[in-house]
Amino acid sequence: MKKPETENAGSFSRRTFLKSLGTTAVAVAATQANAVAAELEKANTEKIIGPNAVPVTLKVNGETLKLQLEPRVTLLDALRNYSSLTGAKEGCDRAACGACTVMIDDVPVYSCQNLAIEAQGKAITTVEGLAKNGNLTKVQQAFLEKDALMCGYCTPGFVMSVTALLRKNPHPSVDDVKHACAGNICRCGTQPRIMEAALQASGVACNSKTEVIDYA
Amino acid sequence: MKAFEYATALSTESAQQLVADSGQFIAGGNDLLGRLKEYLADAKIVVNIKSLPGLDKIETGSQTWSIGALVTVAQIENHAEIKKVFPGLHTAAAEVGSQQIRNVATVGGNLSQHSRCWYYRHRDTLCLKKHGDLCYARHGENRYHSLFTGNTCISPVVSNLATAFAALDATAIVLREGKETRMSMAELYANAWENPTAHNSLKPGDLILKIEIPTARTHSAYMQVSEKHEFDWALVSCAAAGKVSGGKISQPRVALGCISPVPHQVKAANDFLEGKTLDEATVSQAADMILKDAQPLEHNGYKVPIAHALIRRTLLQLKG
Amino acid sequence: MPSWPTETKYISHSTLRIDAVPKLTGQARYSSDIQAQGWLYGMILRSKWPAAKITSINLEKARAIPGIKAALTVQDGERTVRYYGEELAAVAGTTKQACLDALRAIEVEAKPLPHVVHETEAMKDDSPKVWEGSPNASNPKPSDKGDVDKAFAECAAVIEGFYTTPVQLHHPMETHGSTVSWTDDGVTAWVSTQGVFGSRDALAGGLKLEQSKVRVLSEFMGGGFGAKFPPVLESVLAARLSREVKAPVRLMLTRFDEALAVGNRPSSFQKIKLGASADGTLQAFEFDNYGTGGLGSGGTTAGGGSGVNLPQPYIYRVPNTRVKQTVVAINAGGARAFRAPAHPPASYGMECAMDDLAVKLGMDPVELRLKNDPSEIRQREYKIGIERFGWKEKYKKPGSSPGVVKVGVGCGGSAWSGGGGARTTQGEAQINPDGSIEVRLGVQDLGTGTKTVIAVVAAEILGLKPEQITVKIGDTRYPPGPGSGGSMTCPSVAPTVFDVCTKTLEQLQTQAGIADARGENWFSACKKLGVNPLVVHGQWQPGLSDSRACGVQFAEVEVDTETGMVTVKKITCIQDGGLIVNKNTFESQVNGGIIMGMGYALYEERIMDDLSGVVLNPNFETYKVSGIGDIPEIDITLLNMPERGVIGIGEPVTIPTASAIANAVANAIGVRVSSLPITPAKVLAALGKVPPSTVSKT
Repeated sequence: MKKPETENAGSFSRRTFLKSLGTTAVAVAATQANAVAAELEKANTEKIIGPNAVPVTLKVNGETLKLQLEPRVTLLDALRNYSSLTGAKEGCDRAACGACTVMIDDVPVYSCQNLAIEAQGKAITTVEGLAKNGNLTKVQQAFLEKDALMCGYCTPGFVMSVTALLRKNPHPSVDDVKHACAGNICRCGTQPRIMEAALQASGVACNSKTEVIDYA
Repeated sequence: MKAFEYATALSTESAQQLVADSGQFIAGGNDLLGRLKEYLADAKIVVNIKSLPGLDKIETGSQTWSIGALVTVAQIENHAEIKKVFPGLHTAAAEVGSQQIRNVATVGGNLSQHSRCWYYRHRDTLCLKKHGDLCYARHGENRYHSLFTGNTCISPVVSNLATAFAALDATAIVLREGKETRMSMAELYANAWENPTAHNSLKPGDLILKIEIPTARTHSAYMQVSEKHEFDWALVSCAAAGKVSGGKISQPRVALGCISPVPHQVKAANDFLEGKTLDEATVSQAADMILKDAQPLEHNGYKVPIAHALIRRTLLQLKG
Repeated sequence: MPSWPTETKYISHSTLRIDAVPKLTGQARYSSDIQAQGWLYGMILRSKWPAAKITSINLEKARAIPGIKAALTVQDGERTVRYYGEELAAVAGTTKQACLDALRAIEVEAKPLPHVVHETEAMKDDSPKVWEGSPNASNPKPSDKGDVDKAFAECAAVIEGFYTTPVQLHHPMETHGSTVSWTDDGVTAWVSTQGVFGSRDALAGGLKLEQSKVRVLSEFMGGGFGAKFPPVLESVLAARLSREVKAPVRLMLTRFDEALAVGNRPSSFQKIKLGASADGTLQAFEFDNYGTGGLGSGGTTAGGGSGVNLPQPYIYRVPNTRVKQTVVAINAGGARAFRAPAHPPASYGMECAMDDLAVKLGMDPVELRLKNDPSEIRQREYKIGIERFGWKEKYKKPGSSPGVVKVGVGCGGSAWSGGGGARTTQGEAQINPDGSIEVRLGVQDLGTGTKTVIAVVAAEILGLKPEQITVKIGDTRYPPGPGSGGSMTCPSVAPTVFDVCTKTLEQLQTQAGIADARGENWFSACKKLGVNPLVVHGQWQPGLSDSRACGVQFAEVEVDTETGMVTVKKITCIQDGGLIVNKNTFESQVNGGIIMGMGYALYEERIMDDLSGVVLNPNFETYKVSGIGDIPEIDITLLNMPERGVIGIGEPVTIPTASAIANAVANAIGVRVSSLPITPAKVLAALGKVPPSTVSKT
């Protein structure tokens, strides 16, 4: 292991130095100004924060959320318990069910298995951020028309996964839809209709083949 | 999770310094956060290594490709050239978890992830790997466990990428105490073969930097069988690679995952396949050789026929 | 006697789900989304021992954790816990993180006791006892009808089989829990529940409050499948915490908790002997079953008893029977009613035996069923089904499919006795002078489409459009509705809304002096109300609903005989629907039941570890449910039987799916995998391809 830096007075370890940052630059030893600035910038980025709550700024659906969060707080926890954005659901908190799916920079992820502090500086989209001015998106409209939801708890997650898919691949095959939605679980059994909704939203007509026969 | 400090490292030196002896590196976080949530790991500080420079590149080359440890599994899956040049790697990547996982999971993390044995992962069973007294799986539920092991722990390696890399004879470049060390996949997991508390050969503070893959093996394939059709750990995974021309294979490699703490390869089988025509009889013989010394437990004997089928199918798939 | 209209605009057609938009846009607030002012986070500490005497629980260090505002024990004094996951204590704090830290700071002193977590072990004489002084297994006497021994002796063909099903977990996507506020005015609780009134009364009882001081709300809830009836211990704990902290407490279970402590479907181990005469007429049936409903019967189960006993012989007419069923206690969480309790395992055992007998007789499996099924409706359904499915073309001798990947087909029937409608259901409608209308019922919508059913019936009777009806549900301040179980909701609610709206129309017409206030006359009629709205009460009426739904399903599967992998290619379902109120949401229920049945057939199993006594797979990673990649083509035919009135459909549709799939697998590979779930391991074992163990256990 590399020896701690000794450029500062006393038996300051680099770790202690990094931890102490955040107040002023005055405590830094006198060296070349540029090197100091560069070292400071590096040190600030490498600054140790926590374990207590620290300021965390999240850009969610175009709005800025200023929160005070411990580093261990997940993005899902930040959305649901530190703001009123309860669209993303906690189904398992173990990256296995997809109810918490959000987009970070257009890429679907499990918000339960990503730290809130690491989502800073990125564009986070939750299900609440899809419909603009109360108008459902093509995906949401297709889900509605195909009855691709029942209890609705898995629905925000599936809507996010299908939306992300169609943004990347506007004309997915059935296998593409399965692959994109494999990480989302539904217990009510809406998957067949989610498949139809995804295809319909991509412009492929799907019609129910259910027949009703009069018994009499 | 317990409370932890957090810092983003900008150099490998500071990363290793920050993590010291009581911290954990975080890349994608799928494995680490899962373990922190179950109190299987301790972290006074979590050190973000996603900003380490130069580790997120896929570099092509005429003899060797290099894939940085921070390249995500999704990037591998979506890379058009990798699909052409290393189709086995492409398939292995596509079957890792779900897209939400692949979008953040890194190559380095996928290789270094800890055991998925349900006794290891359970918060209330103190198994051998967690420095407890016994391997619960040996006496208990071992349907997902190893057919080969060098020690009392029977937890297998389950990384899809490890299986694919093993067949491609890839090398991991690992930064250890400031020096770069080269490890084959066998070496990367050797310690897990020897030592019940080990998941792989990495030591605390080690950083995987990149994986180098020789291009010599122009054909590769990967297949796995799981209980569900998607988003399910493999029961057995298999990768095969080699140079195939006129139905004959040279430089053959066959590796199996999920049946041993190390990607399972049998040199005698690779030697046997050298120069042979890939037909049903030959691949079947190779499969027999690869599985000859399998030691089925009470509940995992079914992995033998699955492995046998996958070996035959991946080899035959190399013919194109 | 009231009757449904024969010409309808909305009933029996498809209306889009009226609560879809808030669910799609993330605006719907479930129990854990409620924005109650100043709410705190609640969490439960559970036993990590499968059996133990708890001698003390020390909350001092937990209370000292920054952010923690209250901590309490479930019970005072010494107690015995009997399963891994039994509730011990609860805390409330300002953040989830504070609560996690607080749980780890609770000091529990316990003397572990011996435990037993498998049925066969629990039945041994020297097994640890789940309840001291009590044998783990009941000691039933077989019950005879006719002369079964004589009948077997005279049978042309007899088969014997041992068919087993696992403990299955409900795992609704939303876990159990609630946001509860207990103030001087009483308790308000937003509970994820299948019965707002049942939960209200359980809360009142648990908190020793008058029922009128407790209000339970559930506008949106994320599924239940039978698990979300009382006891509502987690809500009682949240209420107690709320009282102490003087703030609302949001306490939801984790997915881990769901696998331990809030219900399951009992296992079954069914020894069946079935015999028939040469023409396929069933003559004799002998049944010896055991299974576990966890730590016992009684308080932890809804629907009575432990749920272990199965209705056998299922469906088919057999004149001579002998039935014996043993209930076995183990140190595990208690069973709760689970979507068609006892029927899926009963169907599985019987239908597998039927197919095995058909093979022995050299008879077509459908022919064997037609010969012995007393239900005219199911007879008709089989006949429709074999055409639609292409049974005669697809059915081949077992194992005769060529190649490595073998194809096979199977079928099964269901006979659900539930439904009917709760006579105590009431409702009310409020018509405002501006023509807006609100229909209110104290019922809940699990995702089944109850809200939409209400709007459809109201619209039909009043001559309006469903979008014009504001539907309010899920509040114990509204007229009492049924618990949503037993497939009772639709047959309770639809006749009630029929009555409410029929009376509303009459009263409106009388008050407005208009002969027919429907359709284009609506607004002028309402205007005549003047200043006050019209509020009309109504209740369930007989003659508009019925119970007992049938249904048959066919399955086509592919089995890779080298890897053991089963892929379901197609399920064809012929389902009687009675009077289908809303076709859209009815079909979704059919899909749902089939997909859950497929999970039961191929993936789902709660696994206990002998040595530690823990649930080994308390997550979605290793407790596997059907994923989108597993879904087959599902073809549904609904039998419209409006003269029967409204029947409930939630349960019948999940009963025969696993049977059909299991039979299709046996048909494909020519040998029976008699244990669910049918995993690759079991398929390969049935094919004789699994080498024996060579490793010692030490």
